[in-house]
Amino acid sequence: MEILVCVKQVPDNEGAISINDEGTWLTGGAFRMNRFDEFALEEAVRLSEEIPGTGIEAVSVGPGRVVSTLRKAMERGAAAGTHILVEEERYMSPFETASLIASYAKTGHYDLIIAGVMAEDDMHCQVGQMIAAILGIRCATSVIHRGTIREETSVYIEREIEEGQRLRMEVALPAVLTVQSGINRPRYPSLSNILRAKDQKIRTIDASDLWKGAGRDHLISMRRPEVSAKGVFLEGGKDEKARALISILHERALI
Amino acid sequence: MEEKIVVIAELSRGRFTRATHEVISFARELGSVGARPEIIIPGKNVRGLAEEIARTSGIDVIGIEAEALDLYSAEPFKSAILDVLKDMNPAYVCLPHSAMGFDLAPGLAVDLGTACITAVEEIREDEKGIYFSRSMWGGKIRAELVPMTQRAVLTVLPGAWTASVEESGIAGSVRVVKADFASGTSEITLMEAPGERESELPGADVIVSAGRGIGKEENLGMIRKLAGIFSRGAVGASRSVCDLGWLGYKHQIGFTGRTVSPGLYIACGISGAIQHISGMKGSQMVIAINTDPHAPIFNIADYCIVEDLTEFIPALLELVETAR
Ligand SMILES: Cc1cc2nc3c(=O)[nH]c(=O)nc-3n(C[C@H](O)[C@H](O)[C@H](O)COP(=O)(O)OP(=O)(O)OC[C@H]3O[C@@H](n4cnc5c(N)ncnc54)[C@H](O)[C@@H]3O)c2cc1C
Ligand SMILES: Nc1ncnc2c1ncn2[C@@H]1O[C@H](COP(=O)(O)O)[C@@H](O)[C@H]1O
Repeated sequence: MEILVCVKQVPDNEGAISINDEGTWLTGGAFRMNRFDEFALEEAVRLSEEIPGTGIEAVSVGPGRVVSTLRKAMERGAAAGTHILVEEERYMSPFETASLIASYAKTGHYDLIIAGVMAEDDMHCQVGQMIAAILGIRCATSVIHRGTIREETSVYIEREIEEGQRLRMEVALPAVLTVQSGINRPRYPSLSNILRAKDQKIRTIDASDLWKGAGRDHLISMRRPEVSAKGVFLEGGKDEKARALISILHERALI
Repeated sequence: MEEKIVVIAELSRGRFTRATHEVISFARELGSVGARPEIIIPGKNVRGLAEEIARTSGIDVIGIEAEALDLYSAEPFKSAILDVLKDMNPAYVCLPHSAMGFDLAPGLAVDLGTACITAVEEIREDEKGIYFSRSMWGGKIRAELVPMTQRAVLTVLPGAWTASVEESGIAGSVRVVKADFASGTSEITLMEAPGERESELPGADVIVSAGRGIGKEENLGMIRKLAGIFSRGAVGASRSVCDLGWLGYKHQIGFTGRTVSPGLYIACGISGAIQHISGMKGSQMVIAINTDPHAPIFNIADYCIVEDLTEFIPALLELVETAR
């Protein structure tokens, strides 16, 4: 079986972030792998353990910096890495990202494409579904449990929906699955995998060689949301804040 | 011809979801610029629901009935909806940003050749067009987007609009069509998420919740102690903490966890992602402890404490101890 895993590099949300002067994208900061994609990779690795001979390839769209995330994907068990290079640091329409990945996927024979349910930075929840629609194959999102694959023709999955419920179904392959966090417990890469990943080549393809269309939505501006007026920031050192908090709790008869 | 805005209704246990009513409010606001809302209800038996919503809202309704539309799955829903849409050519197709909505919307947009903008929270209009705002980066950023296509598919963030209560004098029209599916649509069944449903969260007056910012599992000790100083205190968690295995999923609060509304909610090391906030914003009072002064949780907190919780909570506990 051949699996393509979509991994996105996102800004680390614990770092300080700033918006560029034009207000159209972010600047600076540290980057890491989108957490939902760590679950996607782990799921691919588990499948390769269940089905011998399974190949795992990771693909990422973005500027040169995303290569470090592809390397991490290889440490976690991907045997190959493909970088679809988009030079500029800018907002990408999910249709653009999906079209690039779908165009690339057409060049291989993937039984399964696994993505995260959402990218933590843009939070679209769209790319996997769009890849499937462009390729004309099935898709299931928010996959929280996966069962065995039957003769490489279909896979049993459970989708997480609202109110603590799930929808269970059999999805015909080839298909795209977008995985929800908690589907598995991603393992740390083993030392041997880290060493192996060091020497592996990452292939770079220029985005314009894959697809020449345009995105379907445009980002006009970015801003920090207004902090609501009702919040009071407690002042002073930690002990002063703790004292202030205790008197608030006393006033409200909470303790 | 007047432009149309289509709302795709979502059903759960034979009723409209709350999010559906919110999308209707959204469509009315969007429609105030000249287009007319219309509701499509895919489902197994929808005539009664179609008549009810047409009567209360005054909006024209199209029901699509088929056995395969009983529970949601992308294939039959997409093909049934596209079939009806092809004669309508609406300016906007609007869905809730729910497990159904975000599963369906991007594929619909690809097939319709339109833009797709998800989790819309705000609309702005000027002479050049209509703009849609949505959160990015866990709510730290608000971005404004515009479709580059004439038409667009939109999903609406639950909670961003108030469920429509407008009663209309004149009922909308109702049309129910039967969808025809070639055999082969797969079997879908509904199940409860396994285990851990029993929880002390609903009965708690005070909930102290742990986020990824607690850093390590051992720090749950101080969270439990903090919950313990209140007479009816319980421990909650963000999804991240449950995914890490530090607490069971019965503690999870949010969109895909529990919805709680205690007298006091203390968020410890929780960034305040929309999916978390949607589960606790009904709390009477919110205290947030976070090292990042820009953490979105502070946008909804009554008392904001910018501190490292691993230092602040022990200091707080010590003061409580000495006061006793
Ligand atoms: C479909 C879907 C459904 C979801 N449903 C839910 C849900 O029901 N519930 C839910 O919670 N999430 C849900 N999520 C996930 C959600 O988007 C966030 O990823 C999650 O809530 C983040 O958890 P967190 O705040 O604990 O972690 P993070 O976002 O990583 O935040 C950690 C915070 O801790 C702070 N911090 C770090 N160190 C310290 C310290 N020493 N002291 C104080 N503060 C510190 C940081 O500044 C940061 O703000 C869902 C996501 C999707 C896509
Ligand atoms: N630039 C990218 N490169 C590779 N995969 C991506 C990229 N953007 C999104 N994805 C995949 O699509 C998923 C959903 O992203 P989004 O639709 O942006 O929320 C992510 O979890 C990734 O698996």
